[in-house]
Amino acid sequence: MSEQVIEVPKQHQIALKKVLSPIHIWGLGVGIVLVGEYMGWNFSVAKGGALGSLIACWVIGLLYTCVAMIDSEVTSTVAAAGGQYTQAKHIIGPLMAFNVALYLVLAYTMLEAADATVFGDLLQEVAGNFGVANLDPKPFVFLCIIFLAWLNYRGVFVTLTFNFVITAFAFIAIILVFFGVSPWSPGVVLHHADLIHGLPYGWIGIIAAFQFGMWYYLGIEGTCQAAEECRSAARSIPLGTMSGMITLVIAASLTWYICSGLLPWEYLGQATTPLYDAARVTNSTWMQVIMFVATVFSNLASANGCINDASRAWFSLSRDRYMPPVFGAVHPHYRTPYRSILFLIPIAVSFAFTNLLDQIITFSILSGLLGYTFMSINMVRFRRLWPLGSIHRGYIHPFHPLPAVMLFLLCVTVYFATYLGYGGQLLSIMAFFIVASLWFSFHRYQYVKRGDQFTMPWPRPKGY
Amino acid sequence: MGFWQIFSDLSWAISGLMAAWMIYDTWHVQQQYDESFLMSSREGAEELTQKEAGK
Amino acid sequence: MAKAHFVPKIQSKLGQFVDCILILVLVYVSLYAPLFMQGKDNGNSSNSSQKVTWQSLNQNTYEAGQWKKLGYTPQQAQPIIQTRFEYSISWPVLGLTALVIIGYYVFMLKISDKEYREVIREKFGDRP
Repeated sequence: MSEQVIEVPKQHQIALKKVLSPIHIWGLGVGIVLVGEYMGWNFSVAKGGALGSLIACWVIGLLYTCVAMIDSEVTSTVAAAGGQYTQAKHIIGPLMAFNVALYLVLAYTMLEAADATVFGDLLQEVAGNFGVANLDPKPFVFLCIIFLAWLNYRGVFVTLTFNFVITAFAFIAIILVFFGVSPWSPGVVLHHADLIHGLPYGWIGIIAAFQFGMWYYLGIEGTCQAAEECRSAARSIPLGTMSGMITLVIAASLTWYICSGLLPWEYLGQATTPLYDAARVTNSTWMQVIMFVATVFSNLASANGCINDASRAWFSLSRDRYMPPVFGAVHPHYRTPYRSILFLIPIAVSFAFTNLLDQIITFSILSGLLGYTFMSINMVRFRRLWPLGSIHRGYIHPFHPLPAVMLFLLCVTVYFATYLGYGGQLLSIMAFFIVASLWFSFHRYQYVKRGDQFTMPWPRPKGY
Repeated sequence: MGFWQIFSDLSWAISGLMAAWMIYDTWHVQQQYDESFLMSSREGAEELTQKEAGK
Repeated sequence: MAKAHFVPKIQSKLGQFVDCILILVLVYVSLYAPLFMQGKDNGNSSNSSQKVTWQSLNQNTYEAGQWKKLGYTPQQAQPIIQTRFEYSISWPVLGLTALVIIGYYVFMLKISDKEYREVIREKFGDRP
């Protein structure tokens, strides 16, 4: 098939600012996720023991490598704010796109709320250490959300430069602590032999650990939300995403190694701040201080990236009238989707103040999982509707369709893992998406322009 | 309780100020600019469009 | 002959507001619903009235030392150590869950395809 040229109208007057480079994409992707190394991943230890958690770390790492490869190819071609939403709209269809946008907005807004909640709890704990018991964390939660939203409102460059700096600090902190616990001398500081006791639940525990194993990487796919704001999306997105993925595999493995060599697995499985606790038992002041600061930074970076991504997804959804078009506005000075950022603040605050952290995290993980299932189907269709050579691709991932098939099978396994731990929530969340889909098909879609949704300068898809 | 109480109150106050500024700015922008201009952004990266068109 | 382009309805401001609120209400319902359903399977712990020691909790010397550094006594650590998950599979519920997920995707892909054909027809004209 030869390359065809489709006329694209260029009469638009305002656009999001194109200022981002690969380091910002790295800061966005890793920033959202790295908090998972500081807290959350360790619940997989409770589900399947320390070894089960390590296996989950690597297997789920494989799932996310597939996600990163697939996403890099599609995003380097469909470079628009909205990321996977825009991909779904061009490759599968409007209802899928609506669902994908909901996965994105809800997953990121809920993750943001969870991050802010933990930020408040951390400050409450510090106050407790200074003898002030039961300090109300709400003002700190509120400040965290509002300050980061304010930063996002005023421009993407400063927002993601800030994210890059605090994320880099949090990543370097893990490496410093890794060297601080002398990994070259087993039995001196680290005592894996005394602490690891095989698989307490056998093979089914490993599968169950997959659900929280996602916490090691959940959100890396958010990099493509920034596509419309990159100076060169075709270069920045694959580079930022793949280097981000490598960073996360390293951070996840080091985190596991440090924590499982210092903390009894039963404690680790329920700890709120495992890396900080690991630093505590070393009795090293510098490690404790660095881990505390890095835990706070990782929280802020994650919430900040989530605000960025959720607002872009909501903005794109509104720009196509899938949701009220009023949120599709761009700020004339800061060139950010300012109304979307503002609209999502009270929603994030309300999630944070519900005290349903468990539910919110499960909803967030499941929304991510539904999105990954979509990606595997999306990739197969993308290559079928526009075979290689028919359109320009900034990056072509190798071994197709192996990553898509592997991603699909891993997703099925994680659904099973979620059923084992949170069967009720799984059904409840599926019910939400089914009702929302019916509402979109039978009500909301009547307000949407049809042909205008297809904005990419591509030829007619094969078979349509 | 002194320091932490002040810290809590300050957090409320700073958050309130920032929120108020964002709401004011949104309102101000709406007064200054035409709605159709604010909503005129179009999806997609121009860089890819140019590549597609062979420049 | 090519079909006429679809002209979408214009929604009132109130309608836009109601649509946003409706989605939010649905999210909250799905967050709270599991709380009203069967209790979460969060693991079971067993408590005994016997005197608890690190040995009786199967903790070796090194593990006991780490618990102490974390500020735990055997009594405080007992519920954490003895909490165990039960991975029992109810085949009918698993079947129902699988059916719901598969049904959701099949429905979504079918409707999406129908809508997609309409988008392509408007964008590129009738099939050559």
